[in-house]
Amino acid sequence: MTLMLSVPLTLSNFSCYSPVCIDSSHFIMSLAAEAFVSQIAAAEPWPENATLYQPLREDQILLSDCASSLAVQAYLRMCNLPVQVSYRPNAEYMSPSGKVPFVHVGNQVVSELGPIVQFTKAKGHSLSDGLDDVQRAEMKAYMELVNNMLLTAELYIQWCDDNTAAEISRPRYSSPYSWPLNHILAYQKQWEVRRKMTAVGWAGKNLEQVYEDVSQCCQALSQRLGTQPYFFNKQPTELDALVFGHLFTILTTRLTSDELSEKVKSYSNLLAFCRRIEQSYFEDSQAGSSSRGYSKGPSLF
Amino acid sequence: MPQPVRAVLAAEGDLHNWAYAKFAGAPLKVYKITNPWRSPTGVLPALKTAEKSIGSLSKPSNIIIHLRKQKYNADYDLSAKEGADTLAFVSLLEEKLLPALIYTQWVDSKNYVDVTRRWYAENIPFPLNFLLPNRIHTQQLERLRLVRGDPTLEPGEQLEKELYHDALECMTLLSQRLGSHKFFFGDSPSSLDAYVFGHLAPLLKIKLPNGKLQQHLNSLDNLRQYCTNILLLYFPSEGKEPPSRKVSVHPEGSDFDSEPHKRRNQILSVLFALGSMLGYAILTGIVSIQQVQAQPALAEPHHVDERGEEDEEE
Repeated sequence: MTLMLSVPLTLSNFSCYSPVCIDSSHFIMSLAAEAFVSQIAAAEPWPENATLYQPLREDQILLSDCASSLAVQAYLRMCNLPVQVSYRPNAEYMSPSGKVPFVHVGNQVVSELGPIVQFTKAKGHSLSDGLDDVQRAEMKAYMELVNNMLLTAELYIQWCDDNTAAEISRPRYSSPYSWPLNHILAYQKQWEVRRKMTAVGWAGKNLEQVYEDVSQCCQALSQRLGTQPYFFNKQPTELDALVFGHLFTILTTRLTSDELSEKVKSYSNLLAFCRRIEQSYFEDSQAGSSSRGYSKGPSLF
Repeated sequence: MPQPVRAVLAAEGDLHNWAYAKFAGAPLKVYKITNPWRSPTGVLPALKTAEKSIGSLSKPSNIIIHLRKQKYNADYDLSAKEGADTLAFVSLLEEKLLPALIYTQWVDSKNYVDVTRRWYAENIPFPLNFLLPNRIHTQQLERLRLVRGDPTLEPGEQLEKELYHDALECMTLLSQRLGSHKFFFGDSPSSLDAYVFGHLAPLLKIKLPNGKLQQHLNSLDNLRQYCTNILLLYFPSEGKEPPSRKVSVHPEGSDFDSEPHKRRNQILSVLFALGSMLGYAILTGIVSIQQVQAQPALAEPHHVDERGEEDEEE
């Protein structure tokens, strides 16, 4: 099979972040690479052995990563694309952009929901084709809202709140490693996240304000959802997948305090929304996962 | 009873707050100052309130919250769904548009040197005009690196392309959402309008050498019309002058105005330099002034001459 590439392949188009190479042709989604991906992606159908990589479910994965991973899984299920989930302690380092989850499809590796959505679109599977321009604008805006508020709040609570960081985040993050690497990696990650919080202006907030922001975000989502089954009426879109990933994870994760999940629980239509998606798309899997200190994966409340 | 609010805002920096205050009908006294040290909080923009307990506020979100508490709320008429949409679109703008705007003013080499830094150098008093622009430049670059998770990021074509791609898409989305309406929600402007106007209007007015964002904005007719409309309605006194930073680019012919001062400054600085060099030389003994005694008579003119010659030879 010959492929006509209109983008010249130069090394400057690709950059490699991970020390572990899966194969020779992985890259990040830069602008030029996007065109390249679209061409290659369009050429092959979705294979049976597509794999999604994330950190270990029981011991290692944290709230924010689990939410992102669940969002991607939900999206792929909504598109009816089969994917196997593989748990690796070094998933973060394997990922081309340093963020989990990432999927290995054919001979491409794509990480994070945004690029994965574009990737599947290039293969001809899309959930948002039926939307008009205004709706698409709103969908993108709400996805940014979730990323801006919910994801940042999750990161804040995990790493900037001393209690949670000491009791949950640091032990879990470094659980696969032995001393002294576990301390070094945990503190390094914490320092990195705290610096990022300062850059986006969240360092000056206290926990109460963060919970207030989460509440505001949930209120906005709840008002947008209203009484509809999905955000854009009959059909789920990537926005539904993203919201489900975050809200479901928040609801089923035990942290040092219940306040975060209480904030979400106060909106009944959001609860019903999560239950609906869980029943429609995750019914067949992991019915018996027990919830220990930090329950993960689709499970009943 | 809403209290009168005194405000100290800069003419550059936060058009967003000023616009919100106008839309909400808050009676503000606006002081245009360019020296952040003279502001009550040390940074610009700043809102000085009448209440002693609150004092002065600087963060834009705090300013808007305070105005709301004083019952100046531009979002009063919005429905719940519209309020939710506002939050969502503000997030979208913050994530996609704001980084590109900051990049184009502060990080992009040509724009920063030609326009931004120049404006600061000309309009802010000494010694801030040396310190402030550079500090903001490094801060913004650092912030960009942190947010994108890449500590080796350099301003360049690649970064510019990615940022602008997101920003152009964002502007197109805004344009699609606005459609042919006068404001985003209904007939009166809301906080989303303040945010959009506050960030897009400067882009329309400032002439930047590297103006891809401007070109795209100009091509979106309804957005351009929208900004001009708000400008006419709510900022009529600003007239032709941009309410945000003025770019003082001197055209060739009108150098005469600054000439006398320039010449005088040059001469003064040269004299000062010469004087200090001479003083230093004398003090350290590199140059010594011989005190030649004024001899009373022609008694020993040749001695003086000899001595003078000997000194010169040494």
